[in-house]
Amino acid sequence: MIRKTLPLLLLLPALVFAVTLDGWMDVQTGGDSLSPEPGRLELGGMLGTENWVLILEEQYSYEDTSGIVPKFLNTYSQTDIDLIVNAGPVTINPDLCWTVDLGDKPEMVLPVQAGVAYREGFIRPGLSLAADISEDFLLFASGFYWNRDLKQEDGYDLAWTEFRVNGGISCETQGFTLTMSGLHHKTKSDFIDYESTWGRFDIALSTEPQSLPANFYVTGDVTYSFYDGTNFLGNDLSDRFTSRIRLVRMIIPSLAVNTTFESVFDYDGVIRLACTSAESRILYRFMRSREVPSVITLSGKLSTSSIRTERAALFSRINFYRGLSLLLNAEARSTPTSIAGAGDTRKRIMFGPGLEYQLGSTLRVWGIIEQERTDLEEVEVWWRVRTGLEFYPGSLSF
Amino acid sequence: MTPYAKIFVILAAVPVLLLACKGPVESTQLIVDTDACTGCGECVEVCPYGAIEVIDGDAVIDPSLCHFCYRCVEQCPEGAIY
Repeated sequence: MIRKTLPLLLLLPALVFAVTLDGWMDVQTGGDSLSPEPGRLELGGMLGTENWVLILEEQYSYEDTSGIVPKFLNTYSQTDIDLIVNAGPVTINPDLCWTVDLGDKPEMVLPVQAGVAYREGFIRPGLSLAADISEDFLLFASGFYWNRDLKQEDGYDLAWTEFRVNGGISCETQGFTLTMSGLHHKTKSDFIDYESTWGRFDIALSTEPQSLPANFYVTGDVTYSFYDGTNFLGNDLSDRFTSRIRLVRMIIPSLAVNTTFESVFDYDGVIRLACTSAESRILYRFMRSREVPSVITLSGKLSTSSIRTERAALFSRINFYRGLSLLLNAEARSTPTSIAGAGDTRKRIMFGPGLEYQLGSTLRVWGIIEQERTDLEEVEVWWRVRTGLEFYPGSLSF
Repeated sequence: MTPYAKIFVILAAVPVLLLACKGPVESTQLIVDTDACTGCGECVEVCPYGAIEVIDGDAVIDPSLCHFCYRCVEQCPEGAIY
C-alpha cells in the first residue's frame, strides 16, 4: 500500500505546482413599471496550469414576461464547463453546456411548422481542436451536438436536435490573414418529420497594415460566403460578400476617433445590395492620473438593410473622489418594432445619471436611474433602475 | 493624417454613406456585428423561433430558422443586429 501511495504523494506537489485558481461574479438587475424584475447572476471559476485550464461558469437568469417587448423566458440556470488542454502545437477544448428551466412557465418557441412549443432546457456537448502546423498556418475545427427539449402543449416531445461542425485553415503572413473554412449545420425533429440542412464555405482575407503614420490604425477584411441551403420559406440562401474597414485615429493622446464602414452584397445570379452600415465613435479620456480615469464616449451608427436602424449614444464617467465616479448615459434609437399599434419603427430616447464605485480591478458596483421615452401610439414615459456588481477577487497560485 | 490616408478614408466613406442614406434594400439575412455583440443573450430570449444562440461569446443567427420578426434588432442593447 505504501509502495503504491508514496510515488503518488511525491508526485502530487509537482502536479499541483503553479496551479492557478481564478473566480469572478457578475450581478445585474433592474426594471421599470412594465418589466419589473429582470436579473442575471453569473458565477465563474477557472483552475489551470500552463498545460490545461478548466473553466466552470454558472448563470442564473430571470426575465419577466410583462414587458412592452414580449419575452418568452422565465427563470433558468445555465452551466458551462470547458476544458482546454495544450499538447504542444495542438489545443483540445471539449465543453459541455446545459440549461435547466427553473420557472413555472417554460420558454415558448415557434419551431417552424410545429406550432407552439415549450423549451424546458437543452444540453450541448461540443469539441474544438486547433493545431499550429507551422509558424504561419493554423488548422482548426469545432462542432457540437445540441439537444433542445421542445415539447408541444399536449406534452409531445419534438425530439429537436441540431448538429453543427466547422473547420478550416488560416495562413498569416506580412500583415495579411487568409482563412478558408466550411460549416455544416443540420436541424432535425423526428416527431414533426422536419429536417433542414445548410452549409457555408467562407474565403476571408483580413489585413492590418503595419506601415502607417503614427497614431493611425486600420483593419480591413473581406469575406465571400458560398451558401448551400434554404431559409424558412424554402428560398435558396444567397451567397454573400461582406467587406468591412475600421479606421482608428488618435488625434491627441486623450482623444481617439474610431470609424467602421461595412457593406454587404448578396449574389444569387444577380448582385444585390444587402446592407450598408457606418459607425463612428469618439473617445475622450481625461484626468488619467486619478484612481479611475474619466471618459466621455460619443457614438453614432446608421445601418440600412431590409430594415433601417439609427443609434446615437453618449456615455460619460467622471471620477470625483477615489473610486467614486458619476455616470451619465444618454441614447436615442430608431429600430423596427413588433409592438402592436406602434407603427413600423420604434423611436426611443433614454437618459439617466448614475453612480459607480471601483476598487481597483477587484470590485465594481454601479447603478443608473434612467428614463425612457418611447413613441408608440402615444409617447410613453417610464423610469428604470439598472444596477450591477462585478467582483473579481484575483488569482490564487499554489 | 497623410494625404494618402485622407483620400483613402474619403474613398471608403463616401459610397457607404450614400448607400446608407438610400433607404431599405433587399436582404436575405440579418447581420450580427461581432465587434459590438457582448454575448448578453437578450436576443436569444426574445427570439420566438429559437433561431439565435450565443456561441463562443457572439450571437449566431440560424438563417434557416430566422423569420425576420426583428425582435432581436429591437431588443439588442448594443444595436449589434441589423
